[in-house]
Amino acid sequence: MATRRQFVAGATAAGLGLGLGRFPASGQAGKEMEGRAGVGGTRRRPGLQDVPRAPRPLRILILGGTGFLGPSQVDYALARGHTLTLFNRGRTAPDLFPGVETLLGDRAEGDYASLSGRTWDAVIDNSANVAPWVMDSVQVLKDAAGRYLFVSSISAHSDNSVIGQDENGPVFSEADYHEAVASGVSPGAAFGQHKAQAERETFKAFGDRGIVVRPGLIVGPGDRSDRFTYWPVRIDGGGEVLAPGDGTDWAQIVDVRDMGRFMVHLVEQEASGTFNATGPEAPLTMAGMLYGIRAITSTPVTFTWVAADFLREHRVGAWMEMPVWVYPEPQTRGFSAYDCSKAMAAGLTFRPLADTARDTLEWLKAKPEEERTLRTGLAPEKEKTILAAWHARNG
Amino acid sequence: MTMERRAFLSTVAVAGGGLAVGGVGRLEASPARVPRRLRILVLGGTGFIGPHQVAFALDRGHTVTLFNRGRTAPELFPDVEQLRGDRAAGDLGELGGAREWDVVMDNAATDPRWVREAAQLLKDRAGQYIFISTQSVYTSRAEIGMDETAPVGRPDLPREEWTGYGPSKALAEEEAQRAFPGRATIVRPSLIVGPGDETDRWTYWPVRVHRGGNVVVPGTPRDPMQFIDARDLSEWLVRLAENGTAGVFNAVGPEAPLTSAEMFYGLRAVTSTPVSFTWVDADFLREMGVRAWSDMPAWQVPRGATAGFARMSNARALEAGLTFRPLADTGRDTLEWFLGQPPERRERLRAGLSPERERWLLAAWRVRMGGTE
Repeated sequence: MATRRQFVAGATAAGLGLGLGRFPASGQAGKEMEGRAGVGGTRRRPGLQDVPRAPRPLRILILGGTGFLGPSQVDYALARGHTLTLFNRGRTAPDLFPGVETLLGDRAEGDYASLSGRTWDAVIDNSANVAPWVMDSVQVLKDAAGRYLFVSSISAHSDNSVIGQDENGPVFSEADYHEAVASGVSPGAAFGQHKAQAERETFKAFGDRGIVVRPGLIVGPGDRSDRFTYWPVRIDGGGEVLAPGDGTDWAQIVDVRDMGRFMVHLVEQEASGTFNATGPEAPLTMAGMLYGIRAITSTPVTFTWVAADFLREHRVGAWMEMPVWVYPEPQTRGFSAYDCSKAMAAGLTFRPLADTARDTLEWLKAKPEEERTLRTGLAPEKEKTILAAWHARNG
Repeated sequence: MTMERRAFLSTVAVAGGGLAVGGVGRLEASPARVPRRLRILVLGGTGFIGPHQVAFALDRGHTVTLFNRGRTAPELFPDVEQLRGDRAAGDLGELGGAREWDVVMDNAATDPRWVREAAQLLKDRAGQYIFISTQSVYTSRAEIGMDETAPVGRPDLPREEWTGYGPSKALAEEEAQRAFPGRATIVRPSLIVGPGDETDRWTYWPVRVHRGGNVVVPGTPRDPMQFIDARDLSEWLVRLAENGTAGVFNAVGPEAPLTSAEMFYGLRAVTSTPVSFTWVDADFLREMGVRAWSDMPAWQVPRGATAGFARMSNARALEAGLTFRPLADTGRDTLEWFLGQPPERRERLRAGLSPERERWLLAAWRVRMGGTE
């Protein structure tokens, strides 16, 4: 049974010259939620001016809050009139929300002292990739908070061979988790096992006051992982773009702002239970995604779809070298075909792909030149070489 | 084809009274003013491309004079000088005298007589004559990659017998060139699209995609598509005037070849509506009486007599500065414009399949493909 995490790790290893050095940190390779925004105090919050205020303002504690996903929650929650407290180490973008209370503490040290004596209507836990952190935090907060929303990952699912899996699809078991821990596998390499275990800890402490959201690939402005950003940037660069497979492979992505909004919405609705959460609403193919991105630019561009087997021969890594895409195999058929209808029924909505792509491109272009180097995608020379070989083979 | 295009054009003329200006004056970035301020005479100017053209020209700091009957949207540009006349009646009265212009833009003529009369009247009082022609001038669309040197009109017939939209436009081009030798600019657009298009010939697609569900799309995902945003065309026309560029140009877009899949997925990208596409084979469409172009807008069967229809060369226009907005802008602006129209206007699109006919076609296609409906 190839897991999502094993698969992604394998894909990475297959990518020549794409060692872990291109990831933010080894333990965070491929993780679904937090990148590092580093946007400083110049955040723009377009599109939130018209958000109506919530009928009942809530006091929300956000664990983390300054990475990639966190700021979208904060922006939306503030627009809704909620009162926020952030809890983090104060290291990542500490100036991001000067008007928002921040309590300091380090979950790696089990240091939650600054939370003591306080109560909240809800907690949103963004910042735990290791189960023990959640084990601690839910104990600290179970009598101090009404609801606990744990940001898990679609990677909690242990089997990607099934198309259209919903929340009832298998996840890593308690035994899987303990086995991973006992065998000394790093949390990064046992990402799904840790997430699944943390989900159980959430429900153990909070019962039906617990909410678990399992995002797929979160994309958009602020994403430092570049796992989607490659495509708008590459397509905007123009010329002949190498596209993977035959265009019919599934693609699932969700805009970080849609995800942040959904999570706040779940808390407001006093939801409970588990939600697989990625997008868009109707199935999207790689062709649908790349052609949709083409629409945001005037640059002349053509796509050459290169067969998966040929890419394998040329040692092209899925996911990191060919972002959003994985090799179509029996065990990955469902990798980008999760059923998120429960989340949609609970209020998950999706902005148009063109908005996501354009905003992502503009965000990247606004960065200083030296910060614009992408962490993902085919190196330009490699793309040229493979395209030439592909054309040679096909006459 | 030719007759259909012509029929559409008369529809435009008739429907022009209801022109809404939602798409006008929304120039995204106000361009820098040009050093040389031109005096531009626009024949027409209140139809589909005219308002975009006038708005852009004014934005560039030029002085614009409109000449038309004063019937179509006369209130559109209250601050712009309006001269009155009726070319159909040969009434060019207010264009007489000694008045001079740097450039004439002739938007409104199909009848070669209209062009002959205006061009002869103005040839010594205007520097450049820009005539908006059409891709329909070409004798054949069977060739792929045709440029501006391809034959026009009906070479098999004497000129007196050139009738119909395309041949008439070809004769009109000659009139412009005869009166303004070396100073005429002949622009041959393909399907002009965007906000303000009262024909719905391309609007159908963004509107249909936005409605969601299973959308019948024609032919194969690889079929070529060419069209031009009215604003790209209009802005380029003004730049042609500024640069004094003469010659004959195909005005077709986008820059790189666009496939049907790229167009439809591009339109999908501007909406959140869940949507899927079913490409229905060209032969099946014909069998079912679904017509290219009118029922399946912006599309022609990319083989036989129409093999080159959407594969015209735009190299010369690119050289002369034609640029294209992103498809997402055209799609979104067109959709927003349409959604802003009064309900009775939105009730039924003027091109494309009705929802009922589309459902029926889809069911028939499924049966043909071996399904059971």
